[in-house]
Amino acid sequence: MSTRHHVVIGSGVAGNQAAETLRQRDPDSRITMITISRLPFFNRYDLPRVFYGARDWRRFIIYPAEYYRENRINLRRATRVVSVDSASQIIKLEHKESIRFDSLLVASGAGAYLPEDLSEFRPLMHGFGAYREAVTVAEALPKAGHAIMLGGDTIGLDLARTLLDTGHRVTLVAGPYTFWPHEVAEKDRPKFIEALTKMGIVVVEQQERGGIASIETGAKGLAARKLTFHDGSELAGDVVMPFYGVMPSLDFMLGSGVDIERGLLVSPNLRTTNENIYAAGDVCQIWTDKEHKYCFYHGWKNVRAMGELAAKNITGADEPWVPTQDETLRLTKEGKIESPFWEYQ
Amino acid sequence: MSTDIQIAIVGSAGDGTIAAGDILRRALAEIGYRVISFDVYPPEIRGFGKCIARLRVTDEQAYSLKPQSDVLVSLDDSHAIPHVHEAREWGAVIYESGSVGPLPEGAHISAHIDPGQIPYNAPIRELSEKSTGSARSRNVVVLGYIAGLFRLPIDPFLRALGAKFKGKADVAKKNEAALRAGYDEGARWFRLDDVVFGPPPAKASGATLEMISGNAAVVRGAIDAGIDTFFGYPITPATSIMERLASEMPKHGKRLVQTEDEIAAISATVGAGFAGARTATATSGPGLALMAEMLGLGVIAEVPCVIFVSQRGGPSTGMPTKTEQSDLNMAVYGGHGDAARIVVAPTNVDGCYRLGGMAFEMAEAYQTPVIVLLDLYLSNRYETVPFPSKPPFKADMNAIADTRGNGFKRYALTPDHISPRSIPGQAGGMYVATGLEHNELGRPNDTAEMHTNMSRKRHDKLKAALDHPGLNAYKRFGDEGKVEVGIIAWGSTFGEALEAMILAREDGISCSALKVVMISPFPTEAVAEFIGDCGQVLVPEVNYQGQFAGILQAHVPHAVTRLARVPCAPMEVDEILAEIRRLAGRTPAKQAA
Repeated sequence: MSTRHHVVIGSGVAGNQAAETLRQRDPDSRITMITISRLPFFNRYDLPRVFYGARDWRRFIIYPAEYYRENRINLRRATRVVSVDSASQIIKLEHKESIRFDSLLVASGAGAYLPEDLSEFRPLMHGFGAYREAVTVAEALPKAGHAIMLGGDTIGLDLARTLLDTGHRVTLVAGPYTFWPHEVAEKDRPKFIEALTKMGIVVVEQQERGGIASIETGAKGLAARKLTFHDGSELAGDVVMPFYGVMPSLDFMLGSGVDIERGLLVSPNLRTTNENIYAAGDVCQIWTDKEHKYCFYHGWKNVRAMGELAAKNITGADEPWVPTQDETLRLTKEGKIESPFWEYQ
Repeated sequence: MSTDIQIAIVGSAGDGTIAAGDILRRALAEIGYRVISFDVYPPEIRGFGKCIARLRVTDEQAYSLKPQSDVLVSLDDSHAIPHVHEAREWGAVIYESGSVGPLPEGAHISAHIDPGQIPYNAPIRELSEKSTGSARSRNVVVLGYIAGLFRLPIDPFLRALGAKFKGKADVAKKNEAALRAGYDEGARWFRLDDVVFGPPPAKASGATLEMISGNAAVVRGAIDAGIDTFFGYPITPATSIMERLASEMPKHGKRLVQTEDEIAAISATVGAGFAGARTATATSGPGLALMAEMLGLGVIAEVPCVIFVSQRGGPSTGMPTKTEQSDLNMAVYGGHGDAARIVVAPTNVDGCYRLGGMAFEMAEAYQTPVIVLLDLYLSNRYETVPFPSKPPFKADMNAIADTRGNGFKRYALTPDHISPRSIPGQAGGMYVATGLEHNELGRPNDTAEMHTNMSRKRHDKLKAALDHPGLNAYKRFGDEGKVEVGIIAWGSTFGEALEAMILAREDGISCSALKVVMISPFPTEAVAEFIGDCGQVLVPEVNYQGQFAGILQAHVPHAVTRLARVPCAPMEVDEILAEIRRLAGRTPAKQAA
């Protein structure tokens, strides 16, 4: 009988898949899942439904509370990890509680990235990574309201489809992050931009306007936000939403003794430079012999597969990572954009 | 009900848990909600033990606390962790996000919050320190947090706080700052729980709704009934009756004396009753034991007086701060000889008021000691009670004799067994009142015939009390006619029994509940009639022996199911409901699934 204590940091796709696999492969072990979120695992891909009136967050939940009880997964929400000591195998929480682990899987995911030059305007922007943010923006956006999207990663473009479908206007301030994490060749970019225009999105190339100079609260009686470019031109909208891709959430791993580049560096079997610590999902960069570098892999299917693989390797296997998801941005025959990152199960 | 929310605050003695509950219930009552609340606290004064303030907030009258709370607040994780399961699914758990020192795994409440509960971690200590300069106002920060989180108006909280610290301007100012800090913190949170405060009910006309405890209601009833004198000796949980009377009675020109012990208290009470005063004492089980002898004097001398008894866990010192209904036998039978007396037991705070006043009427009308039997749960429980604009009690129920002429028979054998009474000093009204058996003139007599007649008189005169004007000696609730299960309950447990009956009916079980307020004399006919309608009879009560069931079966020989428990707390609705289901032959839901 195993008395091992498996700790999973993060309760997203990778973390939950890992916990499920850990329970299957190590039935008698103790599993603790720690997350900063107050909600259990919810479907981020479903968040645009708030614009169709969905307001009960329980309908976004993927596993009911019984699932965690039955699988004996101690789900610790609203809990922030502040440090990990890989040598003594101890995690410290913000409220000064210490947790010892036998194995640790870091699956803390990634948070929305905001370029440094825009950080001062953060209070005037609406995020879209959590249910709370989704409801907030849905309530801020009036009927037929105007959303200004900055950057335009695939999460933003997915939301844009819903906003247009629900009668809102969308203006995209396009730039180098548009279509992130897809790598679109320069020569192909115009046709994808054209596809966005055909969808009904008004596309403004940021570079042509000299970049964003400021974001302000709109004057009384006008739209809630005013965006000014360096060339002096302005855009007025009800909400301004940044979609510049994501950044791994790993502050707590600084000083842990585990190698970090932009993400946690892991070998093909998802093990970090510490033999008891693994990583999966958007937080890690995986070594690929083929490209001879550490790479990020995104998307529901990839992340879930990483969670499963990490759990297998924690419990005795030694299998390498093989990407499971096509990462090519496509155009359909009708000229519509299709991203594999919009697919989930 | 559009609003039915139970909040539990759990802390350690010294955390201000009970004070927080008090301010919260007063604020919510001012907003207009109906509130029922009950605090649990340890016997120690400070620094040890668990304190819990629980309050249920509704827009209609509730009868008991709920088995699960909608909101659970931790002021001390070591005490709150065993109670975290009390918060229902999708309910809120509010707790301190920080910690003073290092904690081992599992010592923080966040380790114990169920996946179905919604965690709200707040920097309670930090907010208190920043707003007041110390951590002492954590309890007030939490109140502000609750108000902010659930979007309640802050002004009633400020007023309740101001009333709490009246005369302490500096303390009040600091706590107001703490309240506002907590409010701002709570208001900024995005809520995920489904705890919703609906609009408060419109205020009813013709009655004043007041937040009051059981003991305070007893005092209000006694004052409204015109109590003249009170003699008492402090004992938990009855002490607050004397404390309140001590401040109220002088305002009405009345007298209260704290005696050296319970024997002196009952002696003075009987003496004052003999002298014609409306008089009372208050005690708990151990004190009632000491009063037994003088109670017998009150019975044989036919002296009107009132004894308020608030029960606690026993025997002996027992558990002074835990509720129990185990002094019933003592109240009904305690003493020597065939000492019949009236024993009534209110079932809620409104009943405390009504019986607190009516007891004086009955004592005078039937010339006997009247015991009003409460318990700690009822004494300390707060409810919003609609008080009548005019006190409903009759001022004088004495059958004063015409004593002109010779041969005044104080103990005359009359058709209704009530004898004309004189008040000392009344011309021609002199008589001998002793503990000896006597004849109609009051003179000693130990013949079998006279003892039989006087014993019959002292017992039979009480029967009329069952129909005392304005008193509901018993009352049936729920389904009429034949039912699968009937519940017969008394005292504070009736609230839980009633809630269980309502839930059983929602489950499709035909069910009734009989509230028995007057236990001595026992409403035999009414109980027998009720039992005749019931397929099964359940008698829940908080004592080990099933004392009420024993009394019931002595009067109505019929099989009943005793649900007698000593949980050191009020009986839980769920436990009664489970027993109803079992008796009705319903398979528990979990097994059926």
